[in-house]
Amino acid sequence: MKVSLAGVRAVRGDWSLSAEGTFGEGIHLVSGDVGSGKSTLALLLAGLFPQISGTVEREGIATTMIAFQFPEFHVTGPDLERECMAWGVDPAPVLAAAGLTGRMEEDPLNLSRGELKRLILACMLARDHDLLILDEPFSSLDCTEKERLCTTLSGRKRGITIIFTHEQTHLPRINRIWEIAGGMLSDRGQLPSALGHWDHAPAVVKNLIARGKIPANISQADLLEAACRT
Amino acid sequence: MQDIRLRAGAAAFLSLAAFGSITGAAIVFIWWLVFSHPLTVVKKMRMVIPAIILIGFFGFILELTGGGGFSYCLRMTVIVLIGAWMYIGYREGEFLSLGTWLLGKEIGFDLGMIAEMGMQSLELMVSDLSRIRQAQELKGTRRGLRNIVPAGSILIHGALRRADETAELMAVRGYTHGGSYCPKFQTSGRDLIAGLAALCMGIIAFIPVSEFFILYH
Repeated sequence: MKVSLAGVRAVRGDWSLSAEGTFGEGIHLVSGDVGSGKSTLALLLAGLFPQISGTVEREGIATTMIAFQFPEFHVTGPDLERECMAWGVDPAPVLAAAGLTGRMEEDPLNLSRGELKRLILACMLARDHDLLILDEPFSSLDCTEKERLCTTLSGRKRGITIIFTHEQTHLPRINRIWEIAGGMLSDRGQLPSALGHWDHAPAVVKNLIARGKIPANISQADLLEAACRT
Repeated sequence: MQDIRLRAGAAAFLSLAAFGSITGAAIVFIWWLVFSHPLTVVKKMRMVIPAIILIGFFGFILELTGGGGFSYCLRMTVIVLIGAWMYIGYREGEFLSLGTWLLGKEIGFDLGMIAEMGMQSLELMVSDLSRIRQAQELKGTRRGLRNIVPAGSILIHGALRRADETAELMAVRGYTHGGSYCPKFQTSGRDLIAGLAALCMGIIAFIPVSEFFILYH
């Protein structure tokens, strides 16, 4: 199971993004500045953005799902129960996972953005997608929910998960780091060796590396272990 | 048309003429064909075709139930075409210029700014709609009338939320009313010809054909 990009170029006005590389099974983290092209790459990987040149090959991928930054875009149901059903999931456990038990009859658009984000992510993660693309999944979530999402994502046993985020504190255990800079996607490699040349690394990671304490991964537990290492 | 004053004036006048009668709609349609670069309008504003189909559908229902649907359909189609021509010619800031020129730096500035915000909101709604469609597609929802309602709710909800946030931000930054602005306009020869033609066609549309020929003889 993999997604391969060969000589891919996406253009929007004067701006362009070039991408090359292979996303295999596991969890990938893509970082980059605002406006660098993270959302465009997310759409491109999901097959929703027409690249101007190159090829995007998907091998062994039967189901693809993308979570947009704004959860409102995903809503189709008039209430929470029917929204869950529209995703093909059982409402009761999913609403419980999203912390929305007993609110089945509420209009999804009346939820706060954080609550709606929780609901949409819970619906998505309740199903097993081969390719799961998450565009800024941590935005609008509080620390507890971010950590809970990290635990869920770290527990994904199969498929390709690609996370596009600015998040600096709460991150799941990941397999590979990618960066977008100067209109180009770069593969920084697998962890922990990728950490040394990760330009957008959180300050705490940079600090630990500077002190010679290279964390095994970037989850809170890994960072804590590295920090406490003697 | 580069000059927003002429474009807005022509659009308002022609829309009224088209709404007034089928003859008016036919005359305005001829103007649209000659002066609006029709192919560019349809290419840039792809929603025109679905909008006309929708009008056609309601026109058909109206014709079946009470009559007058055919006339309604023709007149509204021409108004939509004029609206599309007006919309694709929009350049950022020109409604602010128009409002300030027309009604001054108090109420004119406010109205112009509201129109500018409306246009920005429309652009955002177009990009939001594209995301909503993509999300619906991935969710396995079939395209159709049933999905127009949730998409419409999301768009309206989003637009209201953005308007609310913008209003709060402006209030926090001390905005009360009016503002200082010196509008500038560019008027080409073609603008004047198209504007004059719109005026003539509008007048012809408002005067009954029989009276026009009596005056002529």
